[in-house]
Amino acid sequence: MKNSENEYRLEMSGISKSFGVVSVLKDVTLKVKPGEIHALLGENGAGKSTLIKILSGVHHKDSGIVLLNGEEINPKNTHEGQVLGISVVYQELSLVNDLSVAENIYLHKLGASKFWMNWDKITKDAQTLIDSLGFTIDASAKVRDLSIVQKQVVEIAKALSEDTKVLVLDEPTTVFDPTDTKKLFDNLFRLRDQGISIIYISHHLDEIIKIADSVTVLRDGVDTGSMAVKDTDTDGIIRLMIGRELKDLFPVRDAVIGTEPIFEVKNLTAKDTIVHDVSFSVRPGEVLGIAGLGGSGRTETAKLIFGADKKKSGTLILNGKEIKTKSPVDAAAHQIGFVSEDRKEEGVFLPLSIRRNVSVTNFKSISGKLGFINVDSEYKKVLGLIDKLNIKTPSSEIDVKNLSGGNQQKVALAKWLSIDSKVIFIDEPTRGVDVGAKIEIYNLINEVAKKGVGVVVISSDMPEIMGISDRILVMHEGTIYGELQKEQFSEENILRYSIGKALKQHN
Amino acid sequence: MALTLKQQLSSPGGFLKFLVKYNTIFIFILLVIFSALISDVFFTSVNLSNLLKQVSGIGIISIGMLIVILTGGIDLSVGSMVALLAVTFAILINLVILPLAIVLTIAIGFGLGSISGYLVAYQKMAPFVATLALMTIARGLGFIYSKGSPVTFKTAGGVHMSNFANNATLGIPNIAIVFFLIVIAAMVMLHYNVFGRLIIAIGSNEEASRLSGIKVNKYKFLVYAISGALAATAAIIVASRTNLGSPNMGMSWELDAIAAVVIGGASLNGGRGTAINTLMGVLILGLIGNILNLLNVPSYPQQVVKGAIIIFAVLLQRFESK
Repeated sequence: MKNSENEYRLEMSGISKSFGVVSVLKDVTLKVKPGEIHALLGENGAGKSTLIKILSGVHHKDSGIVLLNGEEINPKNTHEGQVLGISVVYQELSLVNDLSVAENIYLHKLGASKFWMNWDKITKDAQTLIDSLGFTIDASAKVRDLSIVQKQVVEIAKALSEDTKVLVLDEPTTVFDPTDTKKLFDNLFRLRDQGISIIYISHHLDEIIKIADSVTVLRDGVDTGSMAVKDTDTDGIIRLMIGRELKDLFPVRDAVIGTEPIFEVKNLTAKDTIVHDVSFSVRPGEVLGIAGLGGSGRTETAKLIFGADKKKSGTLILNGKEIKTKSPVDAAAHQIGFVSEDRKEEGVFLPLSIRRNVSVTNFKSISGKLGFINVDSEYKKVLGLIDKLNIKTPSSEIDVKNLSGGNQQKVALAKWLSIDSKVIFIDEPTRGVDVGAKIEIYNLINEVAKKGVGVVVISSDMPEIMGISDRILVMHEGTIYGELQKEQFSEENILRYSIGKALKQHN
Repeated sequence: MALTLKQQLSSPGGFLKFLVKYNTIFIFILLVIFSALISDVFFTSVNLSNLLKQVSGIGIISIGMLIVILTGGIDLSVGSMVALLAVTFAILINLVILPLAIVLTIAIGFGLGSISGYLVAYQKMAPFVATLALMTIARGLGFIYSKGSPVTFKTAGGVHMSNFANNATLGIPNIAIVFFLIVIAAMVMLHYNVFGRLIIAIGSNEEASRLSGIKVNKYKFLVYAISGALAATAAIIVASRTNLGSPNMGMSWELDAIAAVVIGGASLNGGRGTAINTLMGVLILGLIGNILNLLNVPSYPQQVVKGAIIIFAVLLQRFESK
């Protein structure tokens, strides 16, 4: 343990914070030693992000104390936090698209430097830094031209460009494939051995078990305890996270599946995207999974059916009758629902209340002639949905931006559950959502199917899509490459179809 | 459920939060008290009714501006529209019977607003650009149709309108009553009507609105058309007050309307703003002009004060959102 007489590099104790009426953190303690990877866990809305934002200077604590190397710190903004050696890689990428990789990495230093910039040196330094992480990215490339994975790497490089003492990573592997993830972990081990304290936020418990030395769990803004990882296992951590045993992540599929399809798609081809010759059908009560690699056209297929993208040819049949969906207006009129993967940009209205969000798709049932809204029935309906979906909020009037990711997702779902959708497309139902909310969303999907709705779930999460689907379609290069029945479900089979290969014959 | 007033006031720091939340009303009350203290004339019925008459025209277009701004747009054409439509009304009132002149003027306003609406909603033109173009077109047409000079009312219908516009009912100027009725209608629409809900939804997230099956284009089109119709209503009022329609009317009123909406706490990005606060914004701007007039402050310093008030109001709102 270098340069510190304290046992802990970072000690946050008694931290409390509330936003308006919503109390987010209550008397939270987080202690991190030098040279350790400390996992910070908790469901969405448990307060992890807020705690980190207090540490880095984005938010200000209401009470409590933060010690860095035994000295109290109170960063007023992120710049002060950085100067103190606290670097955070956030989930939301914070890069400037129009600047180069090198400029982005050293952005925070530009203002503080001499008048003239030595661009050659900066680009060279940035290149060295990225190379040392083991990724191939050209430091002089514009960030706009990078893939999302490369952007994430640049974010990490940016955090390391300072003399970092505490490095915080918020869900860094969300966009990574296994190879990249392994590279990242090797880097983290190297940094840990250099004595840097790493706080690692993730929903992937297997990752935590693999890399973390110790773990602190938050639940509803209270820390439920810290422990060394070697003293526990996945089940132990889950117990701390959700406060109960995790029997089974996925519900028993007990919906009665109809025989005739409720919705059919025939030879659907897009005008502007790679989607072509897509044909499939979904039956009432069925949960149909759509798997495939990113860019294989899954989301585009759903948007095409929903009328958000333009069609070139193809037929849609709902309940045996051909329908046209030239725009989402038509789709919604035919009671087809679509929950976008991009919750914040396309799913919910962040600055509006839960009530106003949920009502948006549902004015017909709560308004009379001339569009006047019956406020009583509106409240009744919305409060009913908040209760049914277990949305954690003090009232229906809270703005959606103040909710956690899982609860925002439930609001996005509520929009389409409040009308009686016949078919509902759900794109990445649990992206960025914690275990507890995941289970609730799976149960919800199950219940929706039970009512005879055709549910189409698009997901990159293999266990998820195998756990909730009755049948899986796998897309490859814009069309459906293969179909898997329940008994054929395996990661290998999904992957083979995803990359355009046939299944192995032995099963 | 919404917190009751009592709950808000009794929560920790509740009173301060309450003040910040309703800061526009608070500023308005402060200004009224201040005005009453420094001027004996302020609280006379003559002065107050003058004040109300002065703000009614701008007030009506401010409500149109509010609903456009709620969708994330802007309507720069309203000031020029007031001029063109005042001229139009003056010409019409000399040609046809009064009710028809009123209906036609409002219909023409709706039609002109529809042009902006069409360009913004269906041709995807930036609202700033589309309405800027309409602004110069309307001003130009106003001068063309009036041949550059005011058109006076010459018929009995003109006398009726003039009487209406310059008289009061129960002590409140008739034109202020028209303005207040429009404010109340807007309040009801924004809170209890699907139309109002949807334009707020569109302003807060257009893509999410589209993917919720909302007819985004239709509503964007409609707000500009309604703004045009309200500009026509304002034009009828200001023309009737002076018995004439002049192509110089409504000069830079669009900016006053934007100022009123912004002082009222609306976000230019859309999705946030209320009719009652816009009313307060209109009254605050009017009050400042009024009190500075009573104090014999010349018009140039008045403009400086107006600008300062806008900055102050917006800074206060920043405080609110924290």
